[in-house]
Amino acid sequence: MSEILGVGSDLTTTGEHPMSTTAERKAVVQEPGATPGKEWVIVTRGLKREYDMGGEVVRALRGVDLAIRRNEYVAIMGPSGSGKSTLMNLIGCLDTPNGGEYWLNGMLVSTMSDDALARVRNKEIGFVFQTFNLLPRATALHNVELPLVYAGISSDERKRRAKAALASVQLDNRMHHRPNELSGGQRQRVAIARALVNEPSILLADEPTGNLDSATSTEIMKVFEQLASGGQTVIMVTHEPDIAAHARRVVVLRDGLVATDDRRAAFKAQMGLA
Amino acid sequence: MRLGDQLRENVGIALETLRASKLRSALTVLGVVIGIATVMAMATLINGVQQQIVRTIESAGPTTIYMFKVFSQTPLNPDALPAWVRIRPDVQPREAERLARLPEISYASPWAIKVGRVEYNGVRLQPNRIYGADDRFTEVIGGELVIGRWFTRQELLGGANVVVLNESYARRLFGRENPIDKVVRLGGRPATIIGLYAPAANIFDPPSAETAAIIPFRMMDTQYDINRTQELFIAIKPRAGVTVEAAQEAVTIAMREMRRLRPADKNNFELITQAQILDVFNRLTGAFFLVMVALSSVGLLVGGIGVMAIMMVSVTSRTREIGVRKALGASRRDILLQFLIEAATLTGIGGLLGVLTGLVVGRLVTLFVKVDAPVPLSYTLVAVGVSIGIGVTFGMIPARRAARMDPVEALRYE
Repeated sequence: MSEILGVGSDLTTTGEHPMSTTAERKAVVQEPGATPGKEWVIVTRGLKREYDMGGEVVRALRGVDLAIRRNEYVAIMGPSGSGKSTLMNLIGCLDTPNGGEYWLNGMLVSTMSDDALARVRNKEIGFVFQTFNLLPRATALHNVELPLVYAGISSDERKRRAKAALASVQLDNRMHHRPNELSGGQRQRVAIARALVNEPSILLADEPTGNLDSATSTEIMKVFEQLASGGQTVIMVTHEPDIAAHARRVVVLRDGLVATDDRRAAFKAQMGLA
Repeated sequence: MRLGDQLRENVGIALETLRASKLRSALTVLGVVIGIATVMAMATLINGVQQQIVRTIESAGPTTIYMFKVFSQTPLNPDALPAWVRIRPDVQPREAERLARLPEISYASPWAIKVGRVEYNGVRLQPNRIYGADDRFTEVIGGELVIGRWFTRQELLGGANVVVLNESYARRLFGRENPIDKVVRLGGRPATIIGLYAPAANIFDPPSAETAAIIPFRMMDTQYDINRTQELFIAIKPRAGVTVEAAQEAVTIAMREMRRLRPADKNNFELITQAQILDVFNRLTGAFFLVMVALSSVGLLVGGIGVMAIMMVSVTSRTREIGVRKALGASRRDILLQFLIEAATLTGIGGLLGVLTGLVVGRLVTLFVKVDAPVPLSYTLVAVGVSIGIGVTFGMIPARRAARMDPVEALRYE
């Protein structure tokens, strides 16, 4: 793991629970069912997810304990098969766990129904995908409007907010372009505007630079940096260490468990060492 | 999401999809178009026919009442009459005389209809209706005397061999020659032409049910063998200002009295009015219409299955879009509605095309058979409504499949 990160991990080497701080450990270890404090936007307690692959049970997550504060900028890393995609799907309320608890913004979402989860996704989570996932036949403006459509916001208000969101990623001059008329970086900025338009609790990015060249990646990472500085909670799943290094905290998964949870990578990044 | 927004959003998506794949969409809705077009064309035609029937009957003696021994929609076999028919008395000329004296009635007289050929100089026309009636024929049936005269009182009383011939028959037999005073043979009997008659325009008399000739009732009664069950009747006309219903009641009372029926006995005669004739026509055309609807609903069924197939394809090819929409907060209901509205838009457009095609075809057919047939707006609305209903029904399975997709799987779909 330290080879991937390029840093040592003091917590795992001591054999302790890989939680960064006692406060985080406390937030997790509280009585099961207890509502976490207001400062915690995400708390998972023993989160489990198993898949039945034709009779063989695959244990993708084997009990993940994680606590993330409001305004944190966290990267989730891990080799393929480590369970990071599964964790992202659970955090993004796209999937439900087989065991454990998931508290999002003070709500126990791990036991919610499909439609309740749809509302939570709409209100609390802004997704940014590796392949952008814009609707190809819709304009940039309409793509950004989409979450507001499902939130039941009136047309005028939608337009106003979507325009503001596009302006915040410097795309106000590309509003009426369709995705195929935009560059990769512009598309990802449209996707970021779409993710932010509902003012979500967390911005959840899955390999956001995976389909971009290095120059454009830097440009997108700057956008994330600005958002994080502005107080937006950002959670980013990636397998690229130099991308993860932009975050202020790096959580590494291995075999369905949190292996390391480290703030020094981010510290190094801030010092220009990453 | 609010329903209005949902509608606007999804009708837009549907139209976009239609534009993007014109040929596929056209083939998909073809079944719906054909089905709806058939119904619309038939509706136009039947509507026109019905209106024409109403007009014809109203123009040709709208208040005339016919009194038959029996009234049967299908011809009865004279050699095997059912018992309830056999026990009924025949219609009697003296009954007509008595009815004619009623204050409500202006005219009542025994008539008969036989089918026979008109012949002249070896030329024989196809067999058709010959009326045994009197000089007030046009008053009761409609139409007009073109040239010549009607029967005199002597001719009527004596049963003279004279005839008022359908003018088109006269033209066929005599060409430009003057037919008056020529002697034709009617069902084998000679008769002198004294006048020519033009029937009221009525396209519903099939060529086999035209009025060929009118002869004095007495001539028919003495020289032809009248079937008293089905060919003999009394033509009755109410006095001006008396309703058909009132006249019918007066006739019924007088008849029951003459035939000494007790209060519990049923009428042993039948009064036929325009309303009943219309009723028979309506039942006939109604049955015809039902058959057409049943046939064209096969077209609609095929169309519906086409829509279902294409919506299945659409759902599969847009799996990823469904995943994205779900990730952005679309509920199952939102996705369900999206695809239902799309299917309904598709079939709704098909329905509109079908209505237009049906109207054009219906119009052409009615021009061809010379019927004036305006189409009521309600037919159009129902047709479009049915099309949209088909979209919703057959779109349900694909839409449910889309709505139930797992967002994680859908987002991973390539």
